[in-house]
Amino acid sequence: MSAVPIRDRALDDAVTVARDREDVAVGNEIVRHRLSSRLIHWSVALSFFVSVLTGMPIWTPFFRWMADLFGGLSVCRFIHPWAGIVFTVISTVQFFHWLGDMKLEPNEKDWLGPRAWKYLKYQGDDSEVGKYNGGQKLFFFAVSLGALGLLVSGVVMWYPLSFSQLVRELSILLHDVTFILFSAAIIWHIYLGTAAEPGTFGSMVRGTVTKAWARLHHPRWYREVTGQK
Amino acid sequence: MSVQSLEIRRSSASVWGSPSGMRSVPTVAKYIDTSTCIGCKACEVACQEWNDLPPLSTQQVGTYQTMPTLDAGFWNLIRFDEREVEGGLMWLMRKDQCMHCAEPGCLEACPAPGAIVQYANGIVDVNQDNCIGCGYCETGCPFDVPKFHAKTGKMAKCTLCVDRSSVGLEPACVKACPTGCLHFGTKEDMVALGSLRVDQLKKGGFTTAALYDPQGVGGTSVVTVLAHADHPEWYGLPRDPHVPLGVRFWKNILRPVGLLAIAGAFVAAVGHYFNFGAKQVQGSADSETNLPQV
Repeated sequence: MSAVPIRDRALDDAVTVARDREDVAVGNEIVRHRLSSRLIHWSVALSFFVSVLTGMPIWTPFFRWMADLFGGLSVCRFIHPWAGIVFTVISTVQFFHWLGDMKLEPNEKDWLGPRAWKYLKYQGDDSEVGKYNGGQKLFFFAVSLGALGLLVSGVVMWYPLSFSQLVRELSILLHDVTFILFSAAIIWHIYLGTAAEPGTFGSMVRGTVTKAWARLHHPRWYREVTGQK
Repeated sequence: MSVQSLEIRRSSASVWGSPSGMRSVPTVAKYIDTSTCIGCKACEVACQEWNDLPPLSTQQVGTYQTMPTLDAGFWNLIRFDEREVEGGLMWLMRKDQCMHCAEPGCLEACPAPGAIVQYANGIVDVNQDNCIGCGYCETGCPFDVPKFHAKTGKMAKCTLCVDRSSVGLEPACVKACPTGCLHFGTKEDMVALGSLRVDQLKKGGFTTAALYDPQGVGGTSVVTVLAHADHPEWYGLPRDPHVPLGVRFWKNILRPVGLLAIAGAFVAAVGHYFNFGAKQVQGSADSETNLPQV
């Protein structure tokens, strides 16, 4: 007898609610990211990857093969600045969309140091972690600042002849440094959001997480949303 | 357009370098004697003609100079300056063009494979087929030579008439020069000629005369006799040109370090997973009764 997939009505309900509301419990699910949040996130991600894939073959010939995904280096040179503009515009939208949730609490400064290591070692007391932990908030501000740095230096590199030699050289270095840090951070963002923390990726796809997930990773948020201890 | 019959010594944005050394060719150079240049601009016209560059309107810049700077469609410019020296008036004219550096900053900065090449004979050439028009070479060049051609979206500059010199002809500008202030030959010969002329000038009272062959860029394949070499800026030349520090730092340090950093972040994530595994939700994820006790 073949197994008949059982539709999870509660999950369906939660996904429906997730179209326009978040931070609400539906059955065993909690809506974490409403549709608009997810669309903004994936728009940023898409424009970021187009920017990366068109920028890296210009950065070093090691990644020259990436240019063939778009039809050559000249095409990359054309697409890259425009993809960068789209990326910074949506990043700006994302910044204001999430800014309210990202207010750093006084004790979250620790996430710059030892608290982050404890988190990565799955140690320490998480009971006061709200919807976003300190690391996520710092990441949010870091990538927002990074997007600004990429924009400013990118405009100079787009129109090099309008700027002085010194400004051009500094822009190339700023663009490089920002990109390197950004990429390293994104690798960890993707890793933590998928392999390292099962259930997290779904929050950015369906918009929902399980109560158990919320209680493990964001206990204070879990209590706020469900009213439970 | 790269010349097939010439061996390439260096090529921009190449991971592995170019095979060279199969043929033995001397480094060539152009000799410019600013002290015998009369500013007739025959070389400007010859350059336009030989390279099929359409005529550009001249611009009045307040001197006898044709236009303010080199242009993507104007690769040879007689720069003009007027100086009062020891009570007398000097007209300083210098033929401005690509200097064909032994260590070209343009080539170092260029991100497009094969868009800028240095032939074994020292000529630095832009291969427009591969050029993406990003303008990095502008930033890399200490002489402000490569220019963006708006119509084609490519960079362009003097080729040292590589199409002529590769078949044993002198560059068009040299061919046209009526005073003999331009010569073309091996770098060795041109430096020798320059030294001779510098000695003459010194005997004639120009005690600061010298041959401009800046070592900061490994020497150039355009050697210039300057009567007032203590003031190269009078001729529009930098005193001590070198590949910009920012470009060298970017290509030689930041880029390899960056590659390692990105690879390191990836390896660290994989290592973390092997060491700590995933942070699993305890028990059944969809059963409220199995919530972890915190």
